[in-house]
Amino acid sequence: MTSKMVAMLLAGGQGSRLKSLTYDVAKPAIPFGGKYRIIDFPLSNCTNSGIETVGVLTQYEPHLLHAYIGLGTPWDLDRRHGGVTILPPYAEIEGNKWYAGTASAIYQNLKFLDAADPDYVLILSGDHIYKMDYDLMLDFHKETQAEVTLSVLEVPWTDTHRFGVINTDEQMNVLEFQEKPKQAKSNLASMGVYIFNWRTLRECLIEDSKKEESSHDFGKDILPVLLKNGSKMMAYPYKGYWKDVGTVESLWEANMDLLDSHSGLNLNDPAWRIYSSNVQMPPHIVTDTALLQDSVVNEGCVIAGEINRSIIFRDVKVQEGAVLSECVLMNGTVIGKGAKLNKVIVPPNLNVPDHFEISDQQDEVILMTQERIDEWKGSGGK
Amino acid sequence: MSMMAVIDASVKLSGMDDLAMNRTIASVPFAGRYRLVDFPLSNLVNSNITSVGVFASYPFTSLMDHIEMGKSWDLDRRRDGLRLLPTVQHGAGIMSVGAFASFEEHIQFFNKSKRDYVVITNPFTVCQLDYEDMLSVHKQSGADITEAVSDGVQLKSYILSKPLFLELISSYKDKRVISIEDIVKLKKKPYTYGQYHYKGFFAVIDSVERYFEVSMALLDEENWRLLFRADRPVYTKVKDEPPTRYIKGSDVKRSLVANGSTIRGDVKGSIISRAVIIRENTKLQSCIIMQKSLISENCDLAFVIADKEVIIEEGVSLHGTAEQPIVLRKGDRVTKEDSR
Repeated sequence: MTSKMVAMLLAGGQGSRLKSLTYDVAKPAIPFGGKYRIIDFPLSNCTNSGIETVGVLTQYEPHLLHAYIGLGTPWDLDRRHGGVTILPPYAEIEGNKWYAGTASAIYQNLKFLDAADPDYVLILSGDHIYKMDYDLMLDFHKETQAEVTLSVLEVPWTDTHRFGVINTDEQMNVLEFQEKPKQAKSNLASMGVYIFNWRTLRECLIEDSKKEESSHDFGKDILPVLLKNGSKMMAYPYKGYWKDVGTVESLWEANMDLLDSHSGLNLNDPAWRIYSSNVQMPPHIVTDTALLQDSVVNEGCVIAGEINRSIIFRDVKVQEGAVLSECVLMNGTVIGKGAKLNKVIVPPNLNVPDHFEISDQQDEVILMTQERIDEWKGSGGK
Repeated sequence: MSMMAVIDASVKLSGMDDLAMNRTIASVPFAGRYRLVDFPLSNLVNSNITSVGVFASYPFTSLMDHIEMGKSWDLDRRRDGLRLLPTVQHGAGIMSVGAFASFEEHIQFFNKSKRDYVVITNPFTVCQLDYEDMLSVHKQSGADITEAVSDGVQLKSYILSKPLFLELISSYKDKRVISIEDIVKLKKKPYTYGQYHYKGFFAVIDSVERYFEVSMALLDEENWRLLFRADRPVYTKVKDEPPTRYIKGSDVKRSLVANGSTIRGDVKGSIISRAVIIRENTKLQSCIIMQKSLISENCDLAFVIADKEVIIEEGVSLHGTAEQPIVLRKGDRVTKEDSR
């Protein structure tokens, strides 16, 4: 009898640092890589890792996410037993069960987990770009007889202040957490991917729910308590590509990483497909005036302009004379004739007018908005 | 609930043999990501017809592979939906659309249905036919059988009432006709014949030369827009290919490119299907490269149709003409010595 692991995917995040991109959609639903949404990555990882039961916990602006996931068909998770289940907050007699923190989100769904009756629970976030075999992590968890395993990866020492840092001994036993430390003791950052023995986690969640002072968060509350109580906690070293796309800058960087064959983010690997809801669009058309260099183009586009180092989503029109470099054009955008854009993310369905020019002197990534376009028009196109 | 439909995928066209050796004409790849059958199937679905029988004769494995249970067209229904109806009428092959002998074999499919009208169409006419519109013209005209035409060309799509359809199946031998196409062509009495005039992009693909010509016509943005209408999408089997990658140094102009490809070379006036690799210093002019083919370095190809999974090794030079494109069969491996 093989042991059973259920994945719980935390997809409720607002992602306010992504500004207008998350105005009305949850962060996991943000488009990425010319075709995908961020949540395609953890969902495809689940499918490719052989996980058959996935709970997706939603909260902030869930409509698009719910419609997108649907029955889970694109990820082969439309199953009679298990499959994908969307878990929004709900109300019961004692009141509303709003998700206060990551741990409370799981606690509110004890009934779901009890019904699934897993041996292990895998906690995932819906806002990271990576390809990871969770089954290998489970093997590590079992071999080391851990009660909790955290997936960690080495980050540059200069970036440690942005992450939850894990200190371990040589056998990878977790000794200590440092949340966004000024002086980090290691450069192993937590990826927000945890495996728990279900019994251990269940007890701890119930205890935590009774504590009024708790923020009901895995990183701040559950993991430190388990460590203090002497639970065997291991750090699983992950070697592949991983990126938290929480900011406009990092979202742009992750898109650009697709153009770098050494980045480790290869979406063309038939052995580890990233599945996505496929919109039916014809192949894109490249006209006589187009110039395409070092770029990625999805279906349904008409490309008549010059494009260098850019990511072009479906149904995009780049008109003649437009010059783009290091841009991310999300689905349905139109770039007018002679427009010049450098290092710009254009959100879905935005029309950039003819001859619009933008490039920031500070070399920062620019998130295009309708307001910016209106302002430009108001100033007479200067 | 008024129409049911038949796509006759058992029809043989000898001019298509190079591309239809081991598959039906219905499953011949077209326009970078489609199979020919996607067009009639999508037209039917876009016309709200949800009961479709696909008549297929051997070899239909690739067709079955493609349409599966009809999920991609939303035809995997508890009631009606898509039925693959294999016919034993093969061998010599029937050259006209809608053979009564095939229908007779599957008479239960028609008898069981509660639909009032039958649409009979074929997999080699690429168009955006609206059968709801055609039905209203059919009803208004009072004709017994209505055929679709465009600019004087027969699109080989027909509408007739089910009672008449059943009557024809039981009496076709006496009437000395073999198919719907046949009876319309002969204008057999006592029936009356109407026409529905279709406007829009269309192509009847009955030979490899015509296939090539029509494919190239789609490089024209206007034709591309007319055939791939946002309000009437062409559906096909889903493949999880990532967007296509253009590498630095690639030079692609006036081409149609599907997903999952990696392009380093020069591509002009060509159609590149899903998951194709085109290496550096290679030139393609007026070529159709089908799924999962590989074109190595330093090749020079013009007027070549490479079927699926063709491997062209380094330094190959192949030059066909618009009238006689070179056809490479599925899985062919071409070496420098094969240059012509």
